Amino acid sequence: MLLACTQSLCPVCLRLVDAEYRREGDTVLLRKRCPEHGTFEVPVWRDGRGMPSFEAWRRSMRIPAYPAHPATDVRQGCPFDCGLCPDHVQHTCTGLIEVTMRCSLGCPVCYARSGAGSEDPSLAALEKQMDALSLASGSCNVQLSGGEPTERDDLPEIIRMAKRKGFALVQVNTNGLRLGREKGYAQSLKDAGLDSVYLQFDGVDDDAYLPLRGRALLALKQAAVDACGRAGLGVVLVCTLVRGINDAQTGDLLRYALKQGSHVRGLHFQPVSSFGRFPWEMDSAPRITLPELMAALERQSGGMVKAEHFHAPSCEHPLCSFSAVYGRKADGTLGDPLGASCCSGGTTLAGERADMVDNAEGSRISRAFTATHWTSPHGGTSLNDAFSRFIAGSGADRRFTLSAMAFQDALSLDVERVRGCCIHVVAPDGRLIPFCLYNLTSLDGFSLYRSASAGTGDAS
Amino acid sequence: MSLEPNFTADDGDWICSRCGVPLEQIKVQALYMHSAFDVILPRCPSCGLTLIPQSLAEGKMAEVEALLEDK
Repeated sequence: MLLACTQSLCPVCLRLVDAEYRREGDTVLLRKRCPEHGTFEVPVWRDGRGMPSFEAWRRSMRIPAYPAHPATDVRQGCPFDCGLCPDHVQHTCTGLIEVTMRCSLGCPVCYARSGAGSEDPSLAALEKQMDALSLASGSCNVQLSGGEPTERDDLPEIIRMAKRKGFALVQVNTNGLRLGREKGYAQSLKDAGLDSVYLQFDGVDDDAYLPLRGRALLALKQAAVDACGRAGLGVVLVCTLVRGINDAQTGDLLRYALKQGSHVRGLHFQPVSSFGRFPWEMDSAPRITLPELMAALERQSGGMVKAEHFHAPSCEHPLCSFSAVYGRKADGTLGDPLGASCCSGGTTLAGERADMVDNAEGSRISRAFTATHWTSPHGGTSLNDAFSRFIAGSGADRRFTLSAMAFQDALSLDVERVRGCCIHVVAPDGRLIPFCLYNLTSLDGFSLYRSASAGTGDAS
Repeated sequence: MSLEPNFTADDGDWICSRCGVPLEQIKVQALYMHSAFDVILPRCPSCGLTLIPQSLAEGKMAEVEALLEDK
């Protein structure tokens, strides 16, 4: 049954092609045909067993929020004019800046083939990227990524620079090796002004790390989590999820995250996509769709999580993510869900009008949420007025966010989704490129945006 | 010293432009998204126009707003 029409790319030649969502039983497929390379299809949503349906999840209407200062013109049309172009319909929630091409791991799975030995961008070059981000997107959140950012000894200086620029939240995306190994390192990042650590964390035993990262890492990961806690750094555990490797660990990961204490602010899943470096054929990749992950969490969490807790995002496209924010109970388990989280301000943003979402307002709330909830808890608030008591009673340290984001690769790319993307990589020349387009590679490894010389990243 | 939550103007003496009378510190209830907050704010005793001091608007009130909007 035909559900919707959109556009996508041929995974071989990356030309723009018409595409359609079709339902076959409980599976929704994105199907497209290239006149030269034939027909391709990929499952994007499996909504059996009481999970939210594709049709309902995708339904919300959006009021576009176009770039105030588009950096590129519309010439070839989406997705070939990114910069952002005047047709992009969502502001930046988080801007990614890749501070190094190097990586201490070189994982078998890496969305950007990191580990190549290229020269790091200079501090002056990074400052230009930050200025470009600031001009385009104001005080959005910024994530320092790579490669592995902690490979740079001047990372504290880069953090200080980002803080001086006034970004709402400064976060480092890291494998955590240096945080776990080097005494005082977490504190040095905290002292530089770091707000949050986006810590690659794939499982609660080394059965997850060996195939995904190439070595046993759990002990180091634990040391990194502990070091961040001592330094007062907020941590989000980020799991690259692969069917057959760690999809049976979602409940254990949740329990582990909650056990660590309030500095672990959330658990975020990234079902694996086929871009950059990956060890399988793109068309037979061990994909997990968002409702399947919801079902796994419901099944494995011992009753703490129900699929009905999750909300579609109000910031990025609905098909890109889900999330929920919970209260934490004193015994270390999850309390009741509090409503929408992260990029899903939907419940209060639109109030009772959940059918219409203003992208600009969604982006503003999303930024505020990430900045508030992914930093470390802070104390010292006076309690002698109603505002302070409310802040103390419902503050971020009493909450836990559970979320997931479905990246798009050359098979699953939907032009409508990338046009509404709010996570933008700042390219070396200052253009802002939606994350999935920046990392997208064809079946033979050709990049749409990431140049070979600048091409690094981390699979966390 | 009163333990009541009393937020005064950041600076200066404020006069209601409509009624021409000085604002007084009066208990008001701030409502936002189904939550109520009892606070004492500069208010016109005649027409009820209330001044939210800038420091409060950009400080605690903004923080509460962000928390409420996330729910």
